[in-house]
Amino acid sequence: MRVEEAAAALREAYRAGVPCAPLRERLLPVGEVDAAYRVQRRMVDGWLADGRRRVGAKVGLTSVAVQRQLGVDEPDFGVLFADMAVPDGAEVPAGRLLQPKVEAEVAFVLGADLPHEQPTTVDVIRATDCVLPAIEIADCRIAGWDISIVDTVADNAAGGLFVLGTTPRRLGEVDLRTCGMVLEHGGSPVSVGAGAACLGNPLHAVAWLAGTLVAAGDLLRAGDIVLSGALGPMVPVIAGAAYQARISGLGSVRVAFASEESQ
Amino acid sequence: MSVDVDALAERLDRAQRSAAAVRQLTATDQLDVPTAYRIQQRLVHLRTGRGERLVGLKMGLTSQAKMTQMGVDQPIWGHLTDAMDIDDGGTVDPGRFIHPRVEPEVAFLLDGGGAPTAVAPALEAIDSRYAGFQFTLPDVIADNTSAAGFVIGAWRPVPVGVDNLGVLLEVDGRVVQTGSTAAILGDPRRALARGLDQARAAGVRPEPGWVFLAGAATAAAALEPGAHVRAVVEELGSASLRVAGPATEGGAP
Repeated sequence: MRVEEAAAALREAYRAGVPCAPLRERLLPVGEVDAAYRVQRRMVDGWLADGRRRVGAKVGLTSVAVQRQLGVDEPDFGVLFADMAVPDGAEVPAGRLLQPKVEAEVAFVLGADLPHEQPTTVDVIRATDCVLPAIEIADCRIAGWDISIVDTVADNAAGGLFVLGTTPRRLGEVDLRTCGMVLEHGGSPVSVGAGAACLGNPLHAVAWLAGTLVAAGDLLRAGDIVLSGALGPMVPVIAGAAYQARISGLGSVRVAFASEESQ
Repeated sequence: MSVDVDALAERLDRAQRSAAAVRQLTATDQLDVPTAYRIQQRLVHLRTGRGERLVGLKMGLTSQAKMTQMGVDQPIWGHLTDAMDIDDGGTVDPGRFIHPRVEPEVAFLLDGGGAPTAVAPALEAIDSRYAGFQFTLPDVIADNTSAAGFVIGAWRPVPVGVDNLGVLLEVDGRVVQTGSTAAILGDPRRALARGLDQARAAGVRPEPGWVFLAGAATAAAALEPGAHVRAVVEELGSASLRVAGPATEGGAP
């Protein structure tokens, strides 16, 4: 295991804007998920030392199909920083990301800490201040998205940018299990799904994350944003395109990508 | 080369009645889309000639993925008869099908002008009469768009928007597919408008009380003996069926 070398490879990918070769085998044995989280931790500590502000966390691998693809049976998580937030409807400059993909999900904003190692759904409901529709713009520092579980965990769970809607809703106003999701490009659906696609219910994803962080000596805090996981398939971003996500009961959120020429 | 529409319709009709797959019609006959719809019309006449009653219309290829796969930019449509009607919560004999699959949908109840007066969650059982569930576009049109059975849940007034209702397909209580009514041509009401246009152009006029199955909201799941299958549609409720027979070891794949 070569935790520092793996972190160095990822740092260089960020710095140069060029993805690196997969870390697995070369630097991280495929089964060593804990070591992959140590790489992530090292990256996060470096970013915090650089002055980046932590604003929450994301849950990844929340679909059964994606877990099966990666040969895992649980989700993963990454850290969100304030500089990853893109205002609703804004344009992401060309070259800001390496190989972005978009997906629509439910964002939770917490009003209280979640300090329990085994949080119940009620703990999550009580700690949730509001929910918002979100577009997560995932990115991958591994060339060609050729990832195993250790690659993506080390790589901050493919964290890129995120866009939140601006009309907060209370949990009681939406059925998070059955809510429909459509992600559109040019008025045509490019990804559709429903709340249940995220671990059966996005609330379960937040509970998993809260408990997992506590077990790792960390926790979700009041004010944190939690991106709970995709409600439908992730789609590669087309330069110059604009995407709108609608989640029924939650409203809509949108993001545009600059065309390559404007770089 | 002329095509014997009656003979091809009879071949598909026999395949359905005996639950035995046949080769694609296009393996031996060159079919264009209009001819394929004539075969479908003839096939439906054979069924109504035996006393079955037309009760509605259904759409196929309403998702972008399926249209791309078949290389078309139009959905296709077929006929529903009362023999395909399965009670909500009812049990269906798998022996009447060849290799059935099931999809969650929404259904509209039509008035005489084709306007929707109610909407319901629905399940559609599809069963291609072709070996391996493999077909070309004319084949599937001739085969009445694989129509085999349908379940309609409780009707309710049409909400203002039905363009993004979440849809779950559950087998034995487990969610096996998730989607949204947005997968149905972006909006099931668009499927309704397109389908009625296409049917009217072919001389078919909806009658009051007809059912319109707008298209699948998710990919299909296999219909296995012993399985309990349920469609859950946000705001609309659910529709379910049970397949007769012992559950297979370990449940559905």
